[in-house]
Amino acid sequence: MDAAWIMLFAVLAPLATGLLTLLLPRESITPRVLLAALGPLVAFGLLWVGSTQIYEAAAVHVAGHGGHAEVHHASGASAYAAIPLPTSGVIPWMTDLNLDLAFNADGLSIFFSLLVSGIGLMIVLYARGYFGPDKDSLFRFYPTLGFFMTAMLGIVVSDYTLQMLLFWEMTSISSFLLIGWDRYDKKAVKLAMQAFFTTGLGGMGLFGGILLLGVTTDIWRWSELTAQIGQIDLADPWVIGAFLLIFIGAATKSAQWPFHYWLPGAMAAPTPVSAFLHSATMVKAGVFLAGRIMPAMSEITLFPWLLIGLGAITMLLGGVIAIQQHDLKRIFAYTTVSQLGLLMAMYGLGAITYPHVGNDGITHLLPAIDLDLTQIANHAFYKAPLFIAAGAIGHFLSRDITRLTGAFYKFPATCLVLLLAGYGLAAGPGTISFQAKELFLYAIYHATEVSAWFWLLMLMTIVTAVCNVAIFVRLATTLLGLPGGMGAFAVPDHDDHHHAHPPEGGLWGSLIWLPGLLLVIPQYVGGLFPGLWNSVFMSGERFAFYESFAQGVPSVWYLVAHPGVPLYCSLAAIIGGVIVGFLPHLRRAVVDVHDTIYPASYWLAVTGGGRVFRMVQTGRLRQYMLIVLFTFLAMFAGAVVNDTRMIEVALVALGDLSAWFEYWPGLLMGMLVCGSALCIPATEIRVVRILLLGACGFAVVGIYLIYRAPDLALTQLMFEIISVLLFVVVLRLLPRDQPQSHAGRPMRIAVSVAVGLVMGWMTLLAATADRPIDDSALLGTVFAQNSYYGDPNSALLSERGGGGSNIVNVILVDFRGWDTLGEVVVLAIAALGVWSLLPSRRKVPTPA
Amino acid sequence: MSTIILRISMSLILPIGLVFALYMAFKGHNEPGGGFIGGLMAAATLAIFRMSSGAAELDKLLPCHPRVLVSLGLSIALATAVAPLFVGEGLLRSYLWDLNLPFGESLHIASAMFFDVGVFLVVVGICVGMISRFSEELEL
Repeated sequence: MDAAWIMLFAVLAPLATGLLTLLLPRESITPRVLLAALGPLVAFGLLWVGSTQIYEAAAVHVAGHGGHAEVHHASGASAYAAIPLPTSGVIPWMTDLNLDLAFNADGLSIFFSLLVSGIGLMIVLYARGYFGPDKDSLFRFYPTLGFFMTAMLGIVVSDYTLQMLLFWEMTSISSFLLIGWDRYDKKAVKLAMQAFFTTGLGGMGLFGGILLLGVTTDIWRWSELTAQIGQIDLADPWVIGAFLLIFIGAATKSAQWPFHYWLPGAMAAPTPVSAFLHSATMVKAGVFLAGRIMPAMSEITLFPWLLIGLGAITMLLGGVIAIQQHDLKRIFAYTTVSQLGLLMAMYGLGAITYPHVGNDGITHLLPAIDLDLTQIANHAFYKAPLFIAAGAIGHFLSRDITRLTGAFYKFPATCLVLLLAGYGLAAGPGTISFQAKELFLYAIYHATEVSAWFWLLMLMTIVTAVCNVAIFVRLATTLLGLPGGMGAFAVPDHDDHHHAHPPEGGLWGSLIWLPGLLLVIPQYVGGLFPGLWNSVFMSGERFAFYESFAQGVPSVWYLVAHPGVPLYCSLAAIIGGVIVGFLPHLRRAVVDVHDTIYPASYWLAVTGGGRVFRMVQTGRLRQYMLIVLFTFLAMFAGAVVNDTRMIEVALVALGDLSAWFEYWPGLLMGMLVCGSALCIPATEIRVVRILLLGACGFAVVGIYLIYRAPDLALTQLMFEIISVLLFVVVLRLLPRDQPQSHAGRPMRIAVSVAVGLVMGWMTLLAATADRPIDDSALLGTVFAQNSYYGDPNSALLSERGGGGSNIVNVILVDFRGWDTLGEVVVLAIAALGVWSLLPSRRKVPTPA
Repeated sequence: MSTIILRISMSLILPIGLVFALYMAFKGHNEPGGGFIGGLMAAATLAIFRMSSGAAELDKLLPCHPRVLVSLGLSIALATAVAPLFVGEGLLRSYLWDLNLPFGESLHIASAMFFDVGVFLVVVGICVGMISRFSEELEL
């Protein structure tokens, strides 16, 4: 089977099985769990198969082109330009809209998709442990989770930009459903709205960016972007704007400052969702996107600084707020914010190049980025277990860290997971996080060669690491009941989502901590046996630039044996973290000021919007008319300013009318029209006004007759009769006319006169302007030629005519019959409106 | 409004008006006229008839709700528009037929004529319906 179809099925598998679980009876829980688990499992397998196929095909292709994937490293100039993005075949969908289905399989995509489906499988199992045998929750949970998984898988493997946007918005919707899981909790629903609006805003930015990029550079596929990065004019402000908009999408999705507030707010979701959201989905979508546009960003000087600056602020802020929280989920949420900032800064660093003398004695320009997948994966492998264990402990005891003193001795399994994962959070030696943090510090250290400002980034990273270590120290001392734990200094925290259900025994009961344990194992495998880690992730790594690390993640021993500034920084962070962890300071639960951003903007939008609305929507027809006419005048003024020839042409056309008296019948009728129109405001009596309006119409009929348009004249005549009849009837229904104030009358007169003059001007231009096309190609000429018999020479290439000598009617019912059909339908709809608004008042004649 | 003169003369005007309206509608393909004009003409005639003779008389003349006319007209127009699709032609494709009648006459029929008839019916239905609804409000 074609690889593209395999990938498509893989993406849709979680959603499909999620929906299939709905068919099972509510009571059958075990089949439901197994069916739901089948989705990510199938996805994992299909992605493996599909991506291998794509990758092999791409490798053959690259080999045919001289294998430039290997050459790019040594080429020196642009380290990214030649990295090919292997893409599978295209499944045609909406080709005209630049939206087909195609799937990528480079390291970033495969890594993310396997991460999503793998952790997704664990989450499915954990949900069984978390919700327990609550059949209603599970019934509702699995389809939504499947939707979320499909959306996330779609993002990472999509090749077409619009295709990715589609899935991107799907994650917003599904996360909204999941965060607002507890429908009866108003706070949760509000927080879901907050997350939806914030990430939706970014989605709009991404949409705009994709469209702008597509329109200016005609790039609608990520693979095209990577392949043609050299051909794009990256100095074009529109292109820069496009990338800026795309970056806004990435920044809101991955909770960068100042948009990070939605992520701790998303804690209202059930813990399985939090674990999934923080480790593999949603927030990582932004990081993924940053990685996708990486090659382009490195060429624009603004971007690295933007990414690094924003990422650094987010990183520091997340860390500092995290240690001052009491709810476990909030603590971990802010560490996620912090880690996301780090990842953003990492991709920013990737655009900073520094000179490096290689083993061959040649100086290369290398980007200060390394092993990006390791950076992302290590976070997933401690954050998901942390959340899983936090949710479990919240079930058994409480999620408030001040109430967990000595919890280890009551629930050893769950707390063990918590501690193991917490050690990963602290980036202690022995976990892959340690090496990852070390690599990041190396990247910063190399970047300091370019600018001294990076020492500030180094400092911020150390402070963040201190916070992470301190969190682990407090967690460990609290859980183990050692001195220095959070219990002794505890300040009661009321933000407690404790909802206990009796612990289950057996396999199903263990599912509340077992997935966490399974997920935390790679942390230690990677840390202790980096060779094993490298054998999995190295094939996908795009940015393995340091010669010392070119073989993959180094071992702890290697790092210790080759001490340098980064190692000392790590050491300083660990020592500082232990000290801060035992200090009695910084233990209050602080409120993040950014939490007010959304409520404030919401208030502003609702209240301010209401005020503007009441200003504009007064309910007075006269004012609406004024707005419409003013807009019209403004647009016309703009057109005139834009094209001053309009004035000259009109003056010339007026000058040509020196023999105006030859047109006296038309002029007379026109004067009649104007005269009766001018009389209308002079009288207050409605019937007279209606009759004057009729007089206008009849004078127009006269004009039509003079210029030999009998059809128009007839139509206008009948229309005038009917409308006068209708008006007379309606008039009698209206209430008595109230004397009205004459305020603002001069302005209305001025506007009316101006609009009249402009209309005349436009008519003059339309009637006298030079046509850019030949007379024989005019629609009027073509219609006239084809009215009765088809003209073989006509532009319409019609082999037959309309069969009628009355052109107007032939146009109406034949040439433009489509229009007429539409008009007739509109008329019928209007009549339906009248019939429903004015119910019949006829008394049904009672049979005598 | 119902003066005796108007009412008596309406009995003369009404048939002439309606026949003339039909005439206008059918000759429209070759001379000034057409379904829209014919429809408006018939509607105006019927409206004046309603004013002079009352709603009950109109009900006798037109023993159905105007919406029947509208839906009939729309159906005819739609059917004419869609019919060519069934023989693999484009929407609204028109056909011409020349029927030879006895006594040397011939009848020239375009399929667009049916479309025009549909328009005629819709316009009549809408105008009559609207005017009688508004009038009913008055006659309360």
